Amino acid sequence: MEGDIVFGSWEAIALIVNTICARIFLNFPRSMAEDAGTAGWLETVYFTIIAFLFFWLISRLYARFNRQDLLDIAELGGGGILRVASGLIILGVLLFIGTIILREYSENMMIIALSDSPISFVMGFFAVAMAVAAYLGLEGIVRSHAIVVPQIMLALLFILVAVVPYYQPTNLLPVLGGGGYSILGKGFFRLSTYSPLVYLFLLPPFIKDQKSFKTVGYAALGISAFLLLASVLAYLLVYPYPTQLEYFLPVFQLARLINYGRIFQRVESLFVITFAASAMHYLSAILFFAAHIFKKTFKLTHHRPLILPFTAIMFTLGLLPNNLMAVIDLEKKVSVRFLWGTTFVLPIILLLLAIIRAAPGSAPAGRVSGTGGASGGGRPAGAPKRGGQDQ
Amino acid sequence: MSGFFDTLKGWLLFTEPAPREQFILRENENEGDGSLKNSQEGAPKNKRRRRQKGNGNDAGTAQPIGRRLADNLNAVKIRFNVPTNSDVMIREFDIVVGKKAIAAFMIYYDGMVDRKVVNDDILLPLMLLSNLDVKSDEARVPVYIRSHLLTHNQIKEASELDQVVGEINFGGVGIFVDGMDSAFTADVKGFEHRSVERPNTEMVIRGPQEGFTETIRVNTSLIRKRLKDEDLIVEDVLVGLRSKTPCAMLYIRDIVNDSLVAEVRRRLKSIQADYIHDSGEIEQYIEDSTFLASPHMVATERPDRVAAMLTEGRVAVIVHGSPFALVMPTTAFELVQSPEDHYVRVPSANLLRAVRLLAMTVALLLPGLYIAITNFHQGMLPTGLLLSIEAAREKVPFPSIVEILIMEISFELIREAGIRIPGTIGPTLGIIGALILGQAAVAASIVSPILIIVVAATGIGSFAIPSFAYAYSFRILRFGYIILGALAGFLGISLGLFLHGLTLVTSKSFGVPFMAPFAPRTAGGLGDVVFKEPIWKQERRPDYLNPKDEVRQPKISRGWIGRQNGGEDQNGG
Repeated sequence: MEGDIVFGSWEAIALIVNTICARIFLNFPRSMAEDAGTAGWLETVYFTIIAFLFFWLISRLYARFNRQDLLDIAELGGGGILRVASGLIILGVLLFIGTIILREYSENMMIIALSDSPISFVMGFFAVAMAVAAYLGLEGIVRSHAIVVPQIMLALLFILVAVVPYYQPTNLLPVLGGGGYSILGKGFFRLSTYSPLVYLFLLPPFIKDQKSFKTVGYAALGISAFLLLASVLAYLLVYPYPTQLEYFLPVFQLARLINYGRIFQRVESLFVITFAASAMHYLSAILFFAAHIFKKTFKLTHHRPLILPFTAIMFTLGLLPNNLMAVIDLEKKVSVRFLWGTTFVLPIILLLLAIIRAAPGSAPAGRVSGTGGASGGGRPAGAPKRGGQDQ
Repeated sequence: MSGFFDTLKGWLLFTEPAPREQFILRENENEGDGSLKNSQEGAPKNKRRRRQKGNGNDAGTAQPIGRRLADNLNAVKIRFNVPTNSDVMIREFDIVVGKKAIAAFMIYYDGMVDRKVVNDDILLPLMLLSNLDVKSDEARVPVYIRSHLLTHNQIKEASELDQVVGEINFGGVGIFVDGMDSAFTADVKGFEHRSVERPNTEMVIRGPQEGFTETIRVNTSLIRKRLKDEDLIVEDVLVGLRSKTPCAMLYIRDIVNDSLVAEVRRRLKSIQADYIHDSGEIEQYIEDSTFLASPHMVATERPDRVAAMLTEGRVAVIVHGSPFALVMPTTAFELVQSPEDHYVRVPSANLLRAVRLLAMTVALLLPGLYIAITNFHQGMLPTGLLLSIEAAREKVPFPSIVEILIMEISFELIREAGIRIPGTIGPTLGIIGALILGQAAVAASIVSPILIIVVAATGIGSFAIPSFAYAYSFRILRFGYIILGALAGFLGISLGLFLHGLTLVTSKSFGVPFMAPFAPRTAGGLGDVVFKEPIWKQERRPDYLNPKDEVRQPKISRGWIGRQNGGEDQNGG
């Protein structure tokens, strides 16, 4: 039972921040430059505001449901059919994102460090990491996030700060970049950047209460927004517009600029470790939640038997695209256009249905009411609940 | 062959995990609840009782003592294999009680008892002083003997043979008297033992210089003389069906979490081994995970360290015959702390800890990073350094992975041989090691000079880790990082760190997460984790131990800094 594991707000925040901000290490700053040119940072601010508004609305609707995740709510709203339908949609989305990200990370790793290795070899490392992590369970994944994510954030901020001498404010001109449509029109679909917030809607059984849910959501959104905006601004400030469209890995390119004296240079090699750490954590969260959703959708007892098949599926599908460009193209066509819907629209629909059709506060069968939190100052701090990850 | 297929099947196919109740260190409950929650009493205990020989923890097959002396004599002769056992001494004599002589005998192991005490405090009063005119109307023989004849200070009366046997096995003497359905036992231990010396593995410059010995009572007294607290409980547990090794569980009753005590007791009492020789064996029986490289409890030979950890709310186990006490639970951060950290001033302690962190990183990662950089990420080295490394490697015929494995394995050989080698020829090993690892290997172009530096730094780093058990884990994992670094450079190292981190964050030591207080984050008690805060700021005990008394000292523990009333009022509050 997932109710046996309860973790604190910080662990949940770290999990969501990493899943949102992992895109910074891929191509997020460049995507902003592609969309709105020098106004990429305005686009980021714009869709961040929309994300906050959506979350405000969702958290208001969620206030009636304590420690129930999206599938519980779907069951309340439409019974088993809606639960299965919602579960399959979310599962499909997670497997799709997981596959795309697995390939994208591996391709980028080849570009920056392992140019002579075959793609399957590099993907194998990420696949092993996510399979082992998912096997060890959510408790290990979130705790690892709690320790590693602050270090990843510090490494990112270090890179962004270390290139301050290269900042050129005139690179932000014209302020409105590609114009109103590119900021407001294309920007709306970039709401999909915050699509990993969907994990938050799967976390309620694992976090303490409704208050923690809101705290986690707003904090994760705030920290992610800051990092996204900082990375876009740094990229736009350093490179002039034509150059911004050339690089696949913007933050890696920024790291390559760092050069202080004869010894302190070539920091980009350390970027590899940060990049890999972020990727492994991200992928392990995706795989765990994919298996968890499948288990919950079909009311299975264990999620562990699903890990190997799901890993094999993601690994095999990840080999299908011809090259990195094909992956990025696929991501643009599918992820950016539709993922915001599963993160922000689907929960609203399910919550409204549940509010209309079911008595508020009633829990579906099989759910366990939780006890106190494990961390964040809560008691019993040294004694987090245990048992669920052995499934 | 079938075993191989079974293993393969186990990896590929899912088998439902056997239900295993995890111990969770919860907030304080009463002890009964804790033990109930965490124990699985019942079937397993009874099923596994192969041969109970009066373990002392279980009185299931007790043999009562009879009234006839001849029967008792016969019983102990059978039990102690007399006369095959040549060191078992049986001395028969008469005791005068009132006006009649009563036959008696005593039994002990020669060499285990103090002969002078036996002669002066047992035999002399029973055989000679019993003839004196004792002014007493006591008619009951046992009471008369106990009250007027036996002058020894530690006398017990046992009604079962197993109790007497247990005492005799641990250096006591058993006294049987005709007509009594019980026997007297006296603690007259006199076996040879090592005196208190400096600890060999945990030397400090500042701080106490006493170490544990192999004698349980000496060890418990070393702790008790430090703590001077009547709430310090020393609870005896016998472990080993045959060896009946005396163990002592130590804890401070009004600080420690009751469920922790119950869990340690449960694990100790559940051990069904025949013989237990050392605390290292006990550790393997009661640890949470057998295959995790890191230890799950602190093994220390320093009484001051045990005392300090008891005051935080932990439990210690001392095993007779072992100079190492076990303290549990522990976390990864405590394993890199040295007792000296608490005795030196804050700036010095933090410098030591920073050096130790560096040493750990070097011991674990340096060879792997060297392989990764030389094979995959040459670009991260400054050009001058890169050229000098490449120039040094020019004549080496092996790839760098082979080169480093040769050196690391050689180093491990020398380290292992250095422990086993007799002291008189120890210096020879140093010379051979220096020649193999240094000059000759470089001169023969088998390894590059830079690699010698890498291996030497790694070795020094591992020696700087205070817990030798934790250092062992680094020695094992280092080879994993070398292989991963050789396979995929920094990506491989990242995978290793990720998996290593996952195993650590999912591990528990007696219900306490191994990476506490960071994962999960716990409130308070952060003043002495990675770096050390001033001692007067460490106001709370570690929260993850869920102690009964969380406060170690008041907010203002240095009364003299108070500006009002000389600080005394503040000290109180």
